[in-house]
Amino acid sequence: MTGTIALITGILLVLIGLWGILTNRDIIRMIVGFSLFDVGIHIIMLSIGYVAGGTAPIIENLSDIGKSYVDPVPQALVLTAIVIGLGITAFMLTYAVNMYEKKGTLEIDKFEELKW
Amino acid sequence: MVDPIYLIVIALATAFALGLFRKAPSLLPYGLTLAALAVMTVISGSWAYGILSGSLEGTDIFTAGFTPPVSINLYMGSLEAVLLLLVNLTALMTALVLRKEVKDTSVYMLMLLLVFVMGLNGVIMTRDLFNLFVFIEIVSIASAGLIALRSNLEQLGAGFKFVIAGALTSGFMLIGIIFTYYTTGSLNMDVIASQMSPALAATGYTGLFLIFIGMIMELKPFPVNGWGLDTYEASVPAVSALVAAGTTSAMFYAFLKTSYMSGGLFVQAAAVIGGMTFIGMNVLALQQDKSRRLLGYSSIAQIGLAVLAYALVALYRIENGEFIVFALILTHALAKALLFWLAGIVGKDSIHDWGVIKKKMILIAPFAVAVSALLGLPPFPSFFAKWDLVMGLAARGGMVWIILILSGSLLEAVYLMRWFGNAFKDSFNEEDTLDWRFGTVLPVFFNMTVLLALGYLSASQSSFSMGFNWILLGAVAVLMVLDFLPGIIKNLLLMGAIGYYGYGFVMAAESYRSVFAWIFALGALITLLPGFGVKGKRMGFYPSAALMFAGLIGLIEAVDFMGFFLSWEIMTLGSYFLILRGKDSKPHALSYMLFSLGGAYLLMTGFAMTYAGTGSIALGALVKAAIIPHSGIIFALLAVGFMTKMASAGLHIWLPGAHAEAETDVSPMVSGILLKAGVFGLLMTAISMGEQSIGPVSLPYVLSWVAVITALVANYMAAMQEDAKRLLAYSSIGQMGYALFGISLMSHLGWLSALVISIVHFIYKVTLFLAIGSVAKRTGTRNMYQMGGLITKMPFTFFSVLICIIALSGIPPLAGFSGKWIVYNAVLEKRWMLQGAVAGAAGIIAFLYLFRLIFAIFLGQLKDNHRKVKEAPFFLILPQALLLGLVMFFSFLPGSLLRPVGEILEEFTTAGALEWQGNMAISDYGYWNGVAVMWVFMALFAVFFLILTINGRRAQWIKQFNIVFAAERPARPETTHFSYNFFAPVRKALGFLEYPFTTNFWNRVSDFLHAVAGFCRRIYTGNGQTYLLQMVIFVVLSYMLTKGGF
Repeated sequence: MTGTIALITGILLVLIGLWGILTNRDIIRMIVGFSLFDVGIHIIMLSIGYVAGGTAPIIENLSDIGKSYVDPVPQALVLTAIVIGLGITAFMLTYAVNMYEKKGTLEIDKFEELKW
Repeated sequence: MVDPIYLIVIALATAFALGLFRKAPSLLPYGLTLAALAVMTVISGSWAYGILSGSLEGTDIFTAGFTPPVSINLYMGSLEAVLLLLVNLTALMTALVLRKEVKDTSVYMLMLLLVFVMGLNGVIMTRDLFNLFVFIEIVSIASAGLIALRSNLEQLGAGFKFVIAGALTSGFMLIGIIFTYYTTGSLNMDVIASQMSPALAATGYTGLFLIFIGMIMELKPFPVNGWGLDTYEASVPAVSALVAAGTTSAMFYAFLKTSYMSGGLFVQAAAVIGGMTFIGMNVLALQQDKSRRLLGYSSIAQIGLAVLAYALVALYRIENGEFIVFALILTHALAKALLFWLAGIVGKDSIHDWGVIKKKMILIAPFAVAVSALLGLPPFPSFFAKWDLVMGLAARGGMVWIILILSGSLLEAVYLMRWFGNAFKDSFNEEDTLDWRFGTVLPVFFNMTVLLALGYLSASQSSFSMGFNWILLGAVAVLMVLDFLPGIIKNLLLMGAIGYYGYGFVMAAESYRSVFAWIFALGALITLLPGFGVKGKRMGFYPSAALMFAGLIGLIEAVDFMGFFLSWEIMTLGSYFLILRGKDSKPHALSYMLFSLGGAYLLMTGFAMTYAGTGSIALGALVKAAIIPHSGIIFALLAVGFMTKMASAGLHIWLPGAHAEAETDVSPMVSGILLKAGVFGLLMTAISMGEQSIGPVSLPYVLSWVAVITALVANYMAAMQEDAKRLLAYSSIGQMGYALFGISLMSHLGWLSALVISIVHFIYKVTLFLAIGSVAKRTGTRNMYQMGGLITKMPFTFFSVLICIIALSGIPPLAGFSGKWIVYNAVLEKRWMLQGAVAGAAGIIAFLYLFRLIFAIFLGQLKDNHRKVKEAPFFLILPQALLLGLVMFFSFLPGSLLRPVGEILEEFTTAGALEWQGNMAISDYGYWNGVAVMWVFMALFAVFFLILTINGRRAQWIKQFNIVFAAERPARPETTHFSYNFFAPVRKALGFLEYPFTTNFWNRVSDFLHAVAGFCRRIYTGNGQTYLLQMVIFVVLSYMLTKGGF
């Protein structure tokens, strides 16, 4: 149940993020959309590895062996994905700053120097 | 052997170490970067050498002390090693090119470069899905940094679009990866591939699809790739080079890996997307005149072709698939990097400003090599790859794909060749400079050499080849290297080579091949003679001429389709470079190239269908092809292909300009010799396949009408020209019409006439072009109304023209008559009276233009400004004298020509063959004694000459200005010249023949394509958000279509 809720939340966040990216012309708002999109994906990843009633996949003492625990691989992946997502977001923001300095605007449709 | 993991370690460690150098002098970090890249190149190179030579085997590289699936593993195999070598070498070269940018920016740039290359190495080697994602992100971030190297507005805009498009793509991929992990329980591609089953593919469909579409979007499919184009255009050219060669090759390989992982689940979708991209990008590029964006279009198209090739190889189980796909990828990477580096050296964006490249003439060579390689012309790997792909497709029934691939290639030729022609011909501003440094020039020539070497190596990889005579191309290469020598020495070398090789070649040629072997070898020697009169180095002329003659010789020697087609393309390429040298020949050379390529692709398709039907790749299979299904279509394809070279009506519009604008000694080469290649091919087809029809339509019958209409209209057009060389060019079209007519008669006499016309046309057209060329050279004009009275100034040239026009007109007693006499005999035999009548009318019209050559140029009044004109130079007269000797010989002894050629043809058919009684030829309809006619003619000539000489003593000589003009000054003086619009009454009657039907038709085709391109490319609005929306729609549509079954 928890897994399903997480999955649905994740998918919803991905869709909201996409909606935000595609409907906001302001570059900062688009970047926020991307963040939501990312977070949604991360939650989907976690929900995939979720095992109902499982504990953290850490074996502290022998009595932990045999207990049900959640899949550790998605958790490891999600950490990496978060780091990468952070990097990309920071990178986008850097671009946004530079673009604003050059042109004095953050409207995406003002940056159409190159086309066709 | 060094563990490949060090490729990643070295790049990463060096990148971190560079952080220490922020304030240090820039040479040290730069040197360190170069060293790191060099070491990486050596490591990957040694692996490539080791694995390919067999001393090493593909190796798994494990990390973290565990084996997969618990840990991540990399793999180094032959394909990986080759791609790594490519990527690391390109990066090393790019670092050399970027020397100036390194000085201007900070050390961060070098760090980015190293991280970028590290990411590419990882993408190529990794076998882990999530690891692949990480490396792709690393590549993406690093390249986004490099794109905005100069931080100008264009780069920032393009970089931002690149980042958001990348973020969206990787988001989809990440979801795909986690879904796939959920259904398969593994992230290791090999493990997943081993588990793959229809059931698993069905449950894990969405995940696998998202990975597939993510990888596809990394390859920038049409039409959701506006951001990719912007990136190519905005970046520093060297960075674009690395993206085009490195990123696309690595991403393509990653695409292949994931595609194998899913068991080829999306192979049909890949074929559709790849084909769409190849065609779409090539059409849209037609309207592009910014060079780097143009290269972007071409890059994406080429990757589309590679995706298509991969998918087709899988779908149709085509053999040699690995070679096909990787030859395409490697050629593209090397050629595209070269062109982007070249764009950096030239420093001009508009393709109309590339003329400045001529400041260093030698740069034309790598430019030509790269463009030819991209177009899949020989001798580059892409040529052999395309050949194998087309042959394989034909054998497995993939005709639609052949048409798609070849049309796309033709479209690509339009814009690449136009660009090359512009660069070669356009004038430039003397103040403009090239970025000519060791670091920028070395990579360009390095890639050129690699392309040539790879071409040589890949020839033996083709599975549809019986080998090729590389000595011919070796000679061309030697001349290319020796191009710094004076022209006369190169001419001696080339003539020596042709003489030495040609003797054995002519002796070895059999049957009707020997006729053409004589024309090609003798023609080469004779038309090269005028070269001795040209001072200076004449850069590029001799390699091009050698290329053309190598092709012609190869054509005769070819034993298989590949050899024939390869020679055909080489010949075309060489003659294109020769024609392009003419002063105003830019548009004509382009249309020549495009028509030739179009024709060549028809030949390729015809050969492929023959192979499919007969299972043989030998040229002799054409005989067997006569009785297979679709034999009519094969015949038609080959005939139209060869007729393009012969410039038959409808396919002729390239010829007048190309032959008229060419240099004085090039016109005879292309008109007198090259056209015969088309005759040779068509005769070969006709003799091998016999009469063919499509449904109820007999193809030779159709050809006969095309032939006589060609002769009629071309002769009429020739009569209406004011430009003497254009007149000769149209005359060639007409003469080739006769040759075509002879072939279409499909009888002994018909073929005999085609061969005889080929021989005599070679002799007199070379002479005429040399004679008229020397007149044009001496008077400085080709317009006949600006000439006149040159008989006293250029008596030998006059004599030469006189003899040739008598020969050409086909009246006794000179050699041209034999051809005509045989044609009419053959017509009577075949009972094609109507066609015969049209051909006869064409012959009469021919008198109109022939007469003009003598009358307008040599008779009448001498122009004031031509009073000091001298006779043609010795080296233009010498070849004419030799050929005139030949004309007279064949005129006195027509049997010496007709008998041996006739005997050759008796091998194929004897019906209606001539009988010989001494010097008298007897056909079913009459007889002809050339020797007797000649003596009678000579006697009559002597009598009249005597009478006129005696009477002439009483004639009064009139000076030119012994005439009083009315005191009027006409606005256009030439209109008062008697020779201007000479045949005005004829024009009134037959003017409709001049209406440019064909030219208008082809212009409309061209306009239509350009209009489509201009309209469709508006999808690239420049708005990053629109691009994202397009991508989302693309993903959703693709999902629905693949799921529903393509």
